[in-house]
Amino acid sequence: MSFHHLDQFAHTASPVTRMPPAGRIVGTVGLALVAATLPAGAWLPLGVLVALSCTLFALARVPPDVALVRLAWPLGVVLIASATLLVMVPGPALVRLGPLTVTAPGADRFATVMARAMVALLPAVLLVSTTSFPELLHGLRALRVPGAVATALGLAYRFLYLTLDELERLQRAARSRNAGHGAARRRHLLVAVTAATLGRSLARGERTHDAMLARGFAGTLPLLHVSPWTPQAAIELAMLLTVAAAVAVQARVG
Amino acid sequence: MAHIPDGFLSIPVLAGTAGASATALAVAARRSRATLGEREGPLLGAVTAFVFAAQMLNFPLGIGASAHLIGATLVAVLLGPAAGMLVMFAVLLVQALLFQDGGIAALGANTLNMAVLGVGSATVAVRALRAMLGSRPHATVTAAAIAAWVSTALVGVAVATELTLSDLVPFTTALTVVGLGHVVVGVAEAVLTGMLVSVVLRARPELFVHATERTRGHGWRVAALTGLALAVMAVAVVAASRQPDVLDATLMRFGLTGRGAPVATPFADYRSPVGGPWVAGAIGVFAALLVTWGIALGVVRRRS
Repeated sequence: MSFHHLDQFAHTASPVTRMPPAGRIVGTVGLALVAATLPAGAWLPLGVLVALSCTLFALARVPPDVALVRLAWPLGVVLIASATLLVMVPGPALVRLGPLTVTAPGADRFATVMARAMVALLPAVLLVSTTSFPELLHGLRALRVPGAVATALGLAYRFLYLTLDELERLQRAARSRNAGHGAARRRHLLVAVTAATLGRSLARGERTHDAMLARGFAGTLPLLHVSPWTPQAAIELAMLLTVAAAVAVQARVG
Repeated sequence: MAHIPDGFLSIPVLAGTAGASATALAVAARRSRATLGEREGPLLGAVTAFVFAAQMLNFPLGIGASAHLIGATLVAVLLGPAAGMLVMFAVLLVQALLFQDGGIAALGANTLNMAVLGVGSATVAVRALRAMLGSRPHATVTAAAIAAWVSTALVGVAVATELTLSDLVPFTTALTVVGLGHVVVGVAEAVLTGMLVSVVLRARPELFVHATERTRGHGWRVAALTGLALAVMAVAVVAASRQPDVLDATLMRFGLTGRGAPVATPFADYRSPVGGPWVAGAIGVFAALLVTWGIALGVVRRRS
């Protein structure tokens, strides 16, 4: 398992990858914030944000099919979470679906939440497609996240593969013994495997940390190249945030 | 729905939860500087990676639903409240930025729910329970299991409150669907946390020395926790007694009420022979605690 299937466009030369990682994070958070806080029924501002995100995808050379596939899973989760609004929000009945009644306010809130969520997800998908984990960590450090968080993330990036490796090995061993057939046994097996993984990953984590220290690890993941802040990058980020702010203002006063 | 996606919460709720989370994380970062040393680095990374990996594993609950470990109590027990909050925030941050699990704009709310409230309430509960039960391994495992249930239930109440404050769904509906869901999932969290703590206690008992040190002066915390539980119960009882819950409303909407022979239950519609809904609610909270306690003890005995 690795993050490389996520950040496969991190090394593609584009205006997005030329932006420093901290700038990419700020731009993503800005767009997501504006999208998530648009008032209900602000369809035109949502459309502008979709167009803006699609332009960024094109600039980053991320193919539309890749973006759609990556959008599908998180959007599916949002769909499941927000579908309950259709019947949970009280109000006049709109349509009956078997034993359930979809209410008009429920449908309105469902549409608003889905649209906001989809538009807020677009910049996040772009970020993960164009930014490697070490770059992301570099950006977070530049944005002054607490040192313990940066340390935890830096080491977790290394240890996650070891933990998942231990997890896979334990599950493979269990499968080879035909363990875990049926829901109750599977539940018991997963609990036992998870508990064993914790014990093993703690021990292996310490050994790996010692090895990393012996090879000169000083708390930060080394990067061969980090896009530096240039006047052009600063102007591009400022323009992006200005457009996002203008959309937010227009949605409220327009 | 522990991870709230973007688009659900209103601007005041997003801003309020982000401000509260930022303040709590700043305090946690300040305190962790004093408590975290060179040797805690690998533990921090390993626990972060483990929580991240464990949240990928879905456990079948056997009722057509599945749940995954939240891990708030586990990190509270292993790392203490300050580092535990930071580790949970690190997990939530990566999940939001890289895996779109939980919204970026809603990161403040998710952090407040799972990192601040989850880890904070788990720490208070574990320390209070250990003050009462003692520091033997069985007591620690029992305390961690009960704290996991309390912490998960509180996360559910927090999510329901935020959805209601965002004017999305009525409080009764949110509490019934989200809160009750977390109360059920909390049982799985309690069992899993109990087993994980039991494993670490046997393999690495020294990890518990600092994080769950039994200290004096927890009486007011026990009182505060009890007060909080009673306040939550009071809100739930008052809200639940005014209008039918979502299941009742659905049944009434389709004219399905009154069909079939009613089954006699001792506290139907939160009514008690003595004292009304308040006594019924108190009995319910006490019964839930007893059930979780029993499950935790069963897990401990089976593991030992």
